[in-house]
Amino acid sequence: METRALGDTGQESTVLTFGSIALNWLEQEGANQLVELVLDHGVNHFDVAPTYGDAELKLGPKLRQYRDDIFLGCKTQEREYEGAARKIDRSLDRLGIDTIDLYQIHGLEYEDELDTITADGGALDAIREAKDDGKIDHIGLTSHGNPELILDAIDRIDDLETVMFPLNPVVAGKDGDEYDYEAVLERCEAEGIGTLGIKAFAKGSWPSTDELAEADRPYANWYEPVDTPEVIRERFDFAAAQSLDTVVSPGDPKLVAMVLDAASRSTGMGEARQRALIEEARHNDSPVPEQLHH
Amino acid sequence: MDVPETVTAALADRQVEGQVCLEAGAGVGNATAGLLAAGAERVYAVTDDADHAATVRERVGDGNADRLVVLEADLRATPLATDSVDFVTAHGLCNVLPPADLTPIAAELTRVAKPDGHLVVDDYAVPPADAAVNRLFALENTAARMVDGRPALTFYPPAMLAAVFVDYGWTVERKKTLLDPVPWTEAHLDAHAEVVRGYAARLPDSLGEPLTAMADDLVAAIGSERTGTMYSLAFRLADG
Ligand SMILES: C[S@@+](CC[C@H](N)C(=O)[O-])C[C@H]1O[C@@H](n2cnc3c(N)ncnc32)[C@H](O)[C@@H]1O
Repeated sequence: METRALGDTGQESTVLTFGSIALNWLEQEGANQLVELVLDHGVNHFDVAPTYGDAELKLGPKLRQYRDDIFLGCKTQEREYEGAARKIDRSLDRLGIDTIDLYQIHGLEYEDELDTITADGGALDAIREAKDDGKIDHIGLTSHGNPELILDAIDRIDDLETVMFPLNPVVAGKDGDEYDYEAVLERCEAEGIGTLGIKAFAKGSWPSTDELAEADRPYANWYEPVDTPEVIRERFDFAAAQSLDTVVSPGDPKLVAMVLDAASRSTGMGEARQRALIEEARHNDSPVPEQLHH
Repeated sequence: MDVPETVTAALADRQVEGQVCLEAGAGVGNATAGLLAAGAERVYAVTDDADHAATVRERVGDGNADRLVVLEADLRATPLATDSVDFVTAHGLCNVLPPADLTPIAAELTRVAKPDGHLVVDDYAVPPADAAVNRLFALENTAARMVDGRPALTFYPPAMLAAVFVDYGWTVERKKTLLDPVPWTEAHLDAHAEVVRGYAARLPDSLGEPLTAMADDLVAAIGSERTGTMYSLAFRLADG
């Protein structure tokens, strides 16, 4: 599988990162098998979080077995020193390892969170301390819905080395500042910050719970995923063509094998085809006005 | 509004900022929006369709009052002065022109362009023979011909459109593929069926009703299709 430099971290990550949340839905034996499958495809970058149920615990055994082959990203939703310090130790403990390669401030949504994190006694103090203690190697950030906030964070956190954010044809077709991840990509490129793409395989939101109860959803993802080999390949190729360093696999284990196959066989995607996917997504998303043309 | 990727890609390597532009065949304002977003000094958006003119004003008029002039006029007699425009765009225009209007309009676009003017022509290549959308486009042309003796759609290979403009003194600067494949979504097919319905309404029911029914059936049968390509040609008007 293709590898790309993860910004200036020195890490060469495979273009697919394994979203280890998928392990949460499996028994230990199944989790072990999935990790073996992922490693068989050459994937060397894994991502996990303490909020993903038992994912950390289930990743533990195989992570320890193959520790040198895996670059591990973990996250925290804590914004203050105490909480973050505790979560780092807890994740190390649950994973059964000494060092997390990449520790990410998770799901940044509001400007005031950034204030808290960067203030004295904020989460960053704990993360930097952990870095000094050798518990963490690199510092990252994830945000699901606000490119401007990511840019602010890059301004305000000097030692930020990676960012993770959504990118797919639907997002890429929208022009507003609230969708301008292109600006984030450019900025990261210029500053040597690594980029990880999420929601590459999102088809749309789930129907409302009135229409489809949560328990009746066929996939564990936060969103309704694309789920045929052809479309998965297309979505992977699209995401990988957006100059992301690596694309995170979807959260449902049923989709992981298809995504591994897509990433292994990927040969890139030309610009005219990327535009075709963006325009298709835009017109499927109730065009106003209806148009004969593109 | 979001500027379509097709427009953004066609304009990306062109000088738009500070330019006086003519958007020939303004349609729903996609290219107009792209030109304004790219910093055009002024855009003359010309269409012969009153509804389109209103749509363009509504979609891109806001905040652009000083830069946008929407003109309802026939491009065969473009209401702009000779040598007055820096940059002309015809985004998806040629395929809707009756073939007989193509050269008169090319002549007019050339007349209004400044001697060192630039031009972008974006259009669809002839869809592959096995494309299902051909059936809907053919029905559209049948309906159009029955009503006013002219086709609704004509697709030209890029070399042909290039040759038309080269004959008027333009030099091709580049060719680019905008879409490959072209995503004909359900919404696009509905819009084409709507064209058939429009023509059918102008025919006696005995002819109009079966046309409409066939269009509806075709849209249902095709659903959506990815096929063919959309291309962009960029020209400059050779000096002298
Ligand atoms: C399909 S639209 C092209 C799309 C449009 N350029 C956009 O970016 O949204 C074609 C437009 O050309 C206009 N048109 C066709 N023949 C014309 C003519 N002879 N004079 C002026 N406008 C014409 C149609 O009314 C329509 O507004």
